[in-house]
Amino acid sequence: MSAALRAELFKQRSTRTVLGLLAAMLGLVLLVVLLHGLGLGAGNFDSTSNQRTALFGWGEVFGPLFAALLGATSITGEIRYGTIRPTFLVTPRRRRVVAAKVWASMLVGAGFGLVAGAVTAVVGTAALSARGIDVRLDAGDYALMVLGAAAASALWAAIGVGVGAVVRNQVPALVGIVVWLLFVENLLVGDIAGATGIGRLLPGAAAKAISGQDPDTLLAPAVGLVLLALYAAGAAWAGSLATSRRDVD
Amino acid sequence: MTDPVTTTPAPPPRDPMPPRDPAVRVTSLTKRYGGLVAVDDLTFLLEAGTVTGFLGPNGAGKTTTLRLMLGLAEPTDGEALVFGRPYRELDQPARRVGAVLESNDFHPGRSGGDHLQTLALAAEIPPSRVDEVLELVELAASADRRVKTYSLGMRQRLGLAAALLGDPELLVLDEPTNGLDPAGVHWLRGFLRSFAEEGRTVLVSSHLLAEVAQAVDQVMIIDRGRLVANARLDELARGDQTLEDVYLGLTTKAAL
Repeated sequence: MSAALRAELFKQRSTRTVLGLLAAMLGLVLLVVLLHGLGLGAGNFDSTSNQRTALFGWGEVFGPLFAALLGATSITGEIRYGTIRPTFLVTPRRRRVVAAKVWASMLVGAGFGLVAGAVTAVVGTAALSARGIDVRLDAGDYALMVLGAAAASALWAAIGVGVGAVVRNQVPALVGIVVWLLFVENLLVGDIAGATGIGRLLPGAAAKAISGQDPDTLLAPAVGLVLLALYAAGAAWAGSLATSRRDVD
Repeated sequence: MTDPVTTTPAPPPRDPMPPRDPAVRVTSLTKRYGGLVAVDDLTFLLEAGTVTGFLGPNGAGKTTTLRLMLGLAEPTDGEALVFGRPYRELDQPARRVGAVLESNDFHPGRSGGDHLQTLALAAEIPPSRVDEVLELVELAASADRRVKTYSLGMRQRLGLAAALLGDPELLVLDEPTNGLDPAGVHWLRGFLRSFAEEGRTVLVSSHLLAEVAQAVDQVMIIDRGRLVANARLDELARGDQTLEDVYLGLTTKAAL
């Protein structure tokens, strides 16, 4: 493990930012999974696909979202508080710093995804069982749900680093990620462009596809994984380029 | 235009050792932001073992010059070499150069000790050195407290501790006395002198003349991006002329 990566991992555990993001993610996952699991009519849960869409897909939404916020904060936070200056003085080859942020955020982001996927699986199953509704997921579906959330979250963490490095200003970067994932993609995929159009090629839809959601409209899990990895690599590259070229105030 | 005050370099002493690289060699360094020239064709050397005061009014280009020297900004023209190489190409720069550019470059929620640890990890410096520099700047008792609870003087000392982590040969400090009380300023002056007496080099920028005059042996004065004086302190301030007289004569009066 490189020195820069060790430093980035230590940065993530030496403030409360990561814990705060994790707590916020857990709260949202619990709230949304319980609301849907207990509140939606039984007709929404009459097939494997519907159960995934209505209930078990939420880990795939909130894991990547909060992993992306974590990744973006790892660089916008340093710019905001000025620690980017000592960071670059110690490691003046800035691409190394960005690469270390990408790997550290992917590692922690994968953890976020595991937690989001596992909590969704456990709480969703408990909610349906409590109502006497058959859970239509088998062991493979569960595994795909949890591991898919971990993979999608790791890749979205890398996208977050790239977005943070290009945007640099913390609030617009974080708001942009939230708005993109929760509103723009939903509009493009669900309502306007139609799911079979370009909407399913967007990075949020690719993240959902990894866990096997909505196979009729979204990509196959493996294709979603490859596509999202390409987005992640592109974002990390753009962030690295932007960081190496621009002056630091 | 006032001519730069310069000194004739003394003839080099006969020495069997090959001459050392100067700590810093800045040549025709220029930085433009659009139409604004922040640093204008700056050329100077910093010899090892000297304490140089870098003086000028606010906005004269001091901080920009330091950022260019330290690889944080790219020059529009010219170059700045640190130990013979651009800063960004130094191997393990923290072991050769320590710098403090702002007094508050800390995450408020991270403890002072952990701040130093993040830098020590990146620079591959052992954790025992973190404790050493904390002792040196008298922050050991506050190391576990989050930086948001620190006073400005404590933050200045934490910044200095970070710069000293790698036991550097060159120390670059931008306005280090802001927020220090008189005892802190006194301590810093003594520290800089003993640092230079070990053959190491200090560049300290300030707009406060009195504080600098007692600590430095070389003075560079910059005004509107141009170097207007570069001489030994005792050559600049001679006879009736104080450093303040020289400074006020060379720099632009602030618009009232």
